[in-house]
Amino acid sequence: MKPRVVPFGESALLVELGDEFQENIVGWARAIADRWETTAGFGPAVPAYASALLRFDPLKTAPAEAEKVADAMLARGQFMPTLGNEPRRLVEIPTTYDGPDLAETAERSHLSVEELIALHAEREYTAYFLGFLPGTAYCGRLDPRIVAPRLERPRERVPAGSVAIADGQTIVYPLASPGGWRLIGRTALSMFDPGADDPVRIRAGDRVRFVPL
Amino acid sequence: MIRISEAAVRSTVQDRGRFGHLRSGVPPAGAADPFALAAANALVGNTDDAAGIEIIGTTFRFSCDDARLVAVTGRDVSLTTRSRLPGWSSVFVRAGQPVTVHAGERTRFAYLAVSGGIATAPVLGSRATYLPADIGAPLRAGDALPLGDADAGAEDAARRAGATVYDGHVRAMAGPHSDRFDTDATRRFFSATFVVEAASDRQGTRLGGVPIAPRAGELLSCGVVAGAVQVPRGGAPIVLLSDHQTTGGYPVIATVIAADLGKVAQSLPGEPLRFYRVERDEALEALRAERRALDGARASA
Repeated sequence: MKPRVVPFGESALLVELGDEFQENIVGWARAIADRWETTAGFGPAVPAYASALLRFDPLKTAPAEAEKVADAMLARGQFMPTLGNEPRRLVEIPTTYDGPDLAETAERSHLSVEELIALHAEREYTAYFLGFLPGTAYCGRLDPRIVAPRLERPRERVPAGSVAIADGQTIVYPLASPGGWRLIGRTALSMFDPGADDPVRIRAGDRVRFVPL
Repeated sequence: MIRISEAAVRSTVQDRGRFGHLRSGVPPAGAADPFALAAANALVGNTDDAAGIEIIGTTFRFSCDDARLVAVTGRDVSLTTRSRLPGWSSVFVRAGQPVTVHAGERTRFAYLAVSGGIATAPVLGSRATYLPADIGAPLRAGDALPLGDADAGAEDAARRAGATVYDGHVRAMAGPHSDRFDTDATRRFFSATFVVEAASDRQGTRLGGVPIAPRAGELLSCGVVAGAVQVPRGGAPIVLLSDHQTTGGYPVIATVIAADLGKVAQSLPGEPLRFYRVERDEALEALRAERRALDGARASA
């Protein structure tokens, strides 16, 4: 798929960078979102795996003008650096590995529970982007030996702090919510605090490590 | 202060939404029917970013500690002071005078604006309530909320704003994922009559009646906006509303224009909804028309 800019209603554009998940594309999407917010200043942006949603107020910024700016960003290519060169933070998540899907997930991966825990905890992950619910950071990649599709029947209620895996990635559920990922553990760490200036524990681009308790 | 003596089934403080933390996964929230809140604010002389109260169900009753202009908007709404007054107009109420907001049979969301605006402390840059993350809380009988300073006075009462015609005719732009649907599915989407399902809420309006299947294949999650019409694998579309998740992994066949979001939000379970394809110019013209209507209704504060 050729990278492109498409309208998303009259008040947003969607920059589509590809249809496959690749780590370098995630960084590109974030760089475009950063530049949209800081350089263009037309409105907020939402980066994801291989896209960036760019919002603007069409009564203040003509859509054609917004498109021109987005096209120009895209034309700079994939090696546009992310803004700010501060070292990536490391966030450690103390984790009790006792989730209800732990045994079944280990079994389908032909691993013992101990092996699965070791594989999950030994890697340092990258937080790709945040979405779903406030503070939910999509982190990857899991060791390919952990085979974990989403549950066929999502749970109606997953407790806040649940550490979960699916499709090669891992997340912490920040709030109690419905959810279809496999629950392998839990953390007492709060992932979202609306009263704080920076309300989220994990930010996009952070390094993330799960520390077994 | 505004003092609430009855809080209906659910009532929450809402403004135009919280757009500064979408990247942290924080949904915009804000009024489900944005134009209705904007009109209520305009009628009492508030700015567009003032907060009001979104009311679900009946009965909502309140008084204010000092004289204020109030307005109620939404679908099929009215209010009572000493006499019954229509919605979509401004009313002057004296200190301590009890006011009742009436929801009709077709009301899903009613909006109350008070001159000066609800002045609760903003959280992450907005007063919008988002209950799943405990940002704000449902209002209860006995609650008293601070109000901002108001300039509008009795001479500004009896202003009127044209009410939205909640007729289930909704304009939408195609895409952004048009190529995930074959032309037949897109044609069906823009010609079918859908039926609103009971499971609809502030997160989204769920539609049944006509399944619209997307093409096979995975879609990577991407950022989404209110008005996006997502089509999950089962083919029953969901129109995202103000409490929507910031990213979604279902293909979006069309996006409801901003000016018609309220028509979707206010539709009741069992009611029909139809989508009419428009281009961006028409969506913009509809927004400009809204702006003119709000300017015309604005009290001369």
